[in-house]
Amino acid sequence: MVEQDDLLAARIWRRHDPREQLIRYGALLATLMLVVWAVRDIDIFWPWVWDAPNQISSLGARMWPPDPGRLGEITRAMLETVHIATLATMLTVFIALPVSYIAAQNTTPNRACLWLGRFILVASRSVNTIIWALLFVAIFGPGVLAGILAIMCRSVGFIGKLMGEAIEEIDRRPVEAMEATGASKAKVIAYAIVPQVVPAFFAIVILRWDINIRESTVLGLVGAGGIGVILQGSIDTFAWQTVATILIAIIALVLIGEALTGLLRRRVM
Amino acid sequence: MTRPDPGDTTPVRIWRKPPFIANPMLRYGLLVLLVAYLIWALATLPFNWERIGEGLPRAARIFGGGFPPNFSRFDLLLTGFTESLQIAILATLLGVLLSIPFAVMAARNIAPLPVYLLGRAVIIISRSFHPVIVAILFVAAVGFGPLAGILTLTLYSIGFVGKLLAEEIEEIDWGQVEAMRATGAGYLATLYYAVFPQILPRQVGLSMYQLDSNLRASAVVGIVGAGGIGSTLMNAFGRYDYDFAFAILLVIIAVILVSEGISGWVRKQIW
Amino acid sequence: MLEISNLIKRYGHDEPVLKGLDLAVEDNSVIAIVGASGAGKSTLLRCINRLVEPTSGSIKLNGTEIVNLRHRDLRRVRRKIGMVFQGFNLIDRLTVMENVLAGRLGYVSLFQAVTRRYPAADIERAFVLMERVGIAHYANKRADELSGGERQRVGVVRALMQEPEVLLADEPTASLDPRTSEQIMVLLQSLASELSLPVLINIHNVAQARSYTDRIVGLRHGTMIFDGTPGDFDKEALDTIYGGIEAPEDDTAPPPSSGEREKEAPHDAT
Repeated sequence: MVEQDDLLAARIWRRHDPREQLIRYGALLATLMLVVWAVRDIDIFWPWVWDAPNQISSLGARMWPPDPGRLGEITRAMLETVHIATLATMLTVFIALPVSYIAAQNTTPNRACLWLGRFILVASRSVNTIIWALLFVAIFGPGVLAGILAIMCRSVGFIGKLMGEAIEEIDRRPVEAMEATGASKAKVIAYAIVPQVVPAFFAIVILRWDINIRESTVLGLVGAGGIGVILQGSIDTFAWQTVATILIAIIALVLIGEALTGLLRRRVM
Repeated sequence: MTRPDPGDTTPVRIWRKPPFIANPMLRYGLLVLLVAYLIWALATLPFNWERIGEGLPRAARIFGGGFPPNFSRFDLLLTGFTESLQIAILATLLGVLLSIPFAVMAARNIAPLPVYLLGRAVIIISRSFHPVIVAILFVAAVGFGPLAGILTLTLYSIGFVGKLLAEEIEEIDWGQVEAMRATGAGYLATLYYAVFPQILPRQVGLSMYQLDSNLRASAVVGIVGAGGIGSTLMNAFGRYDYDFAFAILLVIIAVILVSEGISGWVRKQIW
Repeated sequence: MLEISNLIKRYGHDEPVLKGLDLAVEDNSVIAIVGASGAGKSTLLRCINRLVEPTSGSIKLNGTEIVNLRHRDLRRVRRKIGMVFQGFNLIDRLTVMENVLAGRLGYVSLFQAVTRRYPAADIERAFVLMERVGIAHYANKRADELSGGERQRVGVVRALMQEPEVLLADEPTASLDPRTSEQIMVLLQSLASELSLPVLINIHNVAQARSYTDRIVGLRHGTMIFDGTPGDFDKEALDTIYGGIEAPEDDTAPPPSSGEREKEAPHDAT
């Protein structure tokens, strides 16, 4: 449908030569074939699909009304979630900054460091937080340490990549001026590079903190601490009304986090 | 000196860098708050130090067992990935299609207030929950398997694409809408002729981005039982089958890199 | 005393940008280097403080060979060479005072630099120089809040903070309006005589070169084709340098008389 709409719209608003038209139809056909293959081949028991709306609404009904009975425990777990996100974000900074420094084209000491930095960033970014958590739970056992390490391992790639880009985009001219005064490399960084990337740094860290709060709500599902532990427990014991309370608490936390980051962002800009 | 300053009597003047936060109370207050927070957080977090102490030997065992990664059960790996891909494709298609009505609902300039609030609420809620939480609920509702994965990622896509699309609709060129209204077109006709053409090019790019994003997410939602390669990975981990688990992990990383590259290339072609 | 002999600079395998340049600069003289864009003026200045690596040749500052210095020795000699840039090259987000003190970076320790705890003598020197050029009242303003002329004054003071033995100025007035650029030229000229400092100025504006400098050096395609006093710099020399292709801002603006030049007021920054 999207593609059809697009084509229809395109015919009205734009000119397309036959070659473009052909590419468009080709892309549409390929998409259709892909979808048909996916629908026919996927391992789904179709009667369940038709029954799904019933199942979902019945689950929803079992959740109502939310049970505030374990609110105290949930609040404590929520605080733990926030702590995991905050501590991990703070600690990440200490790793991500050196990595971004060696992974930026214009500051890296040499080729080997550049590739090492890029490798760290790619490795960190391609493994999802929850998979990192799985690994650290296996190593350090269930608990918040695994959660903090998991969030850190994923955030290094995020903060490091964006900071590296910020460093690559700086104005070269102050660097040249500082070199001309006879300043050493460290002093050039402190005077010509750091002041230029400070705003980007705060924006990136705040953004990641917001994301990390969301991510740390699920760590508990693999045993890495936070609200997820209680959520998993309540689901396992079919305490659906408690689940509903937890879900509401998560929405509240995420919204508070978003409001706070919005406020902070306006402050530093 | 051609012009010595007449007011200059003190031989040595002092200069200090003006502090980042001018008010000293606020400056030190924030510092104290930060330290207090750190102490509080570290004191209240439950660390099980004995278990953590066992970490290094365990890490050695896991990595020892994990290397070299074992690709001998390649068919299992392939099945898992095919399922992940199928989940991602179907969820992207459904999500991108469904995001259009929700985006229209959540755009302040074309939706009436009650509809707008409803649309916003749906988008905010689906964005607040990490896909893994949604997945665990759908698994509870419709059982283990790819269906839960598709439902999860559809909702996830609605939240993400819907939000961006709604913002896009709020920024459209209003002149075209007025022109359509001036011809006497109804609400749906106006949407179709004046709003969609302005947002659709963006929507195609977004779908590519979302497909990439869903493929990544489909690897994780499997961890709580929603099908795909994540489930395969979780099983391998659960059976302490670390060499197979590491093989899966390597392939996940490779697939994600390839998919990121393709999605980036396609988006560049479109824009 | 700055002595350059047989200086060659070649980027990659292209034709050399500087083709064996010889130049000796006495103390206490202001030299204008004129030439069309791409003549190698900027490369020449940057070779002197080694922001650009010369391919071969010799550059001596007060007897010290600069061309083969490395690391620490290079930084030591760089701090004796002040540089003023066309684009000012200030650190926008830092205060004027921090920008000025950055001129001392070659002298202070890293700890002093990072914590901004500069020696009292440096701070005093900064205030004196800033007063000299009329920007002392901006000490705690951010550098990007200043106007172009004020920013270039900060650039000049930063270079002077280095206690330089030679001052390089790369098109110092090209980003400024005509009135402000006259002021900066006057400033450079009077500072040179006050501090008996040799100053090399790359400049496009031939009229300004003739009014404010003691000697004009003309470059074309990397070779020196004119070297003489402003009095000798006639129409013919101008045509040779610019090849008659490009008509620079020529003698339309008559050089101000020496009486006018004395009227320069450092505090009139706009």
